Amino acid sequence: MTALLSIRDLTVIYRRDGSEVAALKDISLDIAVGERLAVIGESGSGKSTLALAIARLLPASARIDGSIDWFLRPPPTLGAKAPPSVLPDISPSRGEIALSSPPSPISKVAGEDPTAKLPISLLEGEMSGRTEGGLMERKAQKSTAKPDHTPLGGRDIGFVFQDPSASLDPVMTVGKQIAEVAHTHLGLNWPQAYAKAKTLIERVRLPDPDAALRAFPHQLSGGQKQRVAIAAAIAAGPKLLIADEATSALDTIVQAEIVALIRQLVAEDGMTLLFISHDIALAAALAERIAVFRHGGLVEIGAARQIVSAPRHAYTRSLLDAHLGLDAEPLSRQAGPSA
Amino acid sequence: MSSPLLSVSGLTKRYRRGGKTIAAVDNVSFHIEPGETLALAGPSGSGKSTIARLVLRLVQPDAGDIQFKGEDFLALGGATLRARRARLQMVFQDPLAAFNPRATVARVLDDPLRIHGIASRSERPRRIAALLERVGLSPDLAPRAIHEISGGQRQRVAIARAIATKPSLIVLDEAVSALDVSVRGQILRLLLDLQREERIAYLFISHDLGVVRAIAHRLVILDAGTIAESGDARTVIDAPQSAIGKALVVAAPKLDRTGP
Repeated sequence: MTALLSIRDLTVIYRRDGSEVAALKDISLDIAVGERLAVIGESGSGKSTLALAIARLLPASARIDGSIDWFLRPPPTLGAKAPPSVLPDISPSRGEIALSSPPSPISKVAGEDPTAKLPISLLEGEMSGRTEGGLMERKAQKSTAKPDHTPLGGRDIGFVFQDPSASLDPVMTVGKQIAEVAHTHLGLNWPQAYAKAKTLIERVRLPDPDAALRAFPHQLSGGQKQRVAIAAAIAAGPKLLIADEATSALDTIVQAEIVALIRQLVAEDGMTLLFISHDIALAAALAERIAVFRHGGLVEIGAARQIVSAPRHAYTRSLLDAHLGLDAEPLSRQAGPSA
Repeated sequence: MSSPLLSVSGLTKRYRRGGKTIAAVDNVSFHIEPGETLALAGPSGSGKSTIARLVLRLVQPDAGDIQFKGEDFLALGGATLRARRARLQMVFQDPLAAFNPRATVARVLDDPLRIHGIASRSERPRRIAALLERVGLSPDLAPRAIHEISGGQRQRVAIARAIATKPSLIVLDEAVSALDVSVRGQILRLLLDLQREERIAYLFISHDLGVVRAIAHRLVILDAGTIAESGDARTVIDAPQSAIGKALVVAAPKLDRTGP
């Protein structure tokens, strides 16, 4: 597998009321180009912190250790040809946003030189699992890398949150909110950006796209608002789409529609999907791989099929046992009316 | 058949919005027997929560009749209504929103005991400790603030508060929807234990048919304020007849644990 990003020994510590809480502890995992990876866990498992760390949205007060390295497509001018294996994730419409990205350790330990936190194995050892082309890119970039070549939220990473009412601007039309992303990140002028917004509104299947462009978020239902949030998240053609409990506040029927929409958009645009959820059944239906988190640690990671049919860890089994499906036995039949 | 504990007929609630009148609940009838769990399920906007509020008399219906323990519940007022309310309790999805977050656990449980005159001042600390133990919590939790305890503990406190007045019926509006699955199972078992031992009936409102199937005896499926179908919970879920019932069943996430 070709990694889109590689997380090594990631630890995130929140400081609250003078005490420190480790939200993530020594997490190492790779996310492959074009895969659908689900991260599941209960409250306090660290799953949302992982999503925020990847999107570089952690609060400034958080202490971050370890590294998140991105392997984004190098710009054509750098010479080294990308190996064919990384090509399928690039849709033609995104040619204009090619970017180079050096390894980007996100460590920000106060008082330390950030370069000292670069993965030691940058050019050897650990690279064995990666393609020769990847190595070339990184060598080539080493001299030209600028600090602003790190992945950018909105452009390289699309983020869909649980509550679309909180992520959409209540006093800006839906059309403008989507067009703004295309204007900012794709360099489109406003008429082009609005045309793009209309296309996106059609793609997320909002009824009456012209009316939707002019609507304000409060005029839409919860499911429609989440469709708008998804349209804005994918407007700049991100490599990675992160959906953090994006369907949890929706009713079952709308949830199924939004999951189907995410699946379709990810396939059409060749995006990589990071699907954060508390629902193991939903995760298994959508993702190819599942990572199970608990108390800030990675319990196990594997193919979705294996995680649900042959979990290695007792905790995963307990999550599966706690799932109440439509075929599960009622918890108790003795509690019925005595009349 | 004994007389129903709660009997609702022709219940209707209309809201006016922008000159248009929308029936949030339209001519809905159902009944609940003592010690029975009746589930209300349906998509967002189907009227589930409005029915809960009508039954609790938090809002007034435009039409319809509610009989609770053989009395015309809508005709009650003043001291009689307050007295009957002790028998009809509620647990909501988010207990942090339902309680004063700075109140202590003891205060939350003291209120119903005091207001309904169930225990004297000197007796109440002992009653509070017993209630906490009844819902599987340590009495040591009493002095803690509501915002300091976990979501599962808070929902147990909400249940302890609901059973403090020895109710015959508890309205549970998405009461387990926000809980982690492991905690959810514990809370559902607690509800079943309480029902078995104290013969409490539940009006269980949920959008999750898996949870409904696990706990409810009968099920009413709502769509746009009207009853789409109703019957034995397992029968309805295993073979839904209405379009909305079928859609809810199809949309429920399925977990296939068989190997490849």
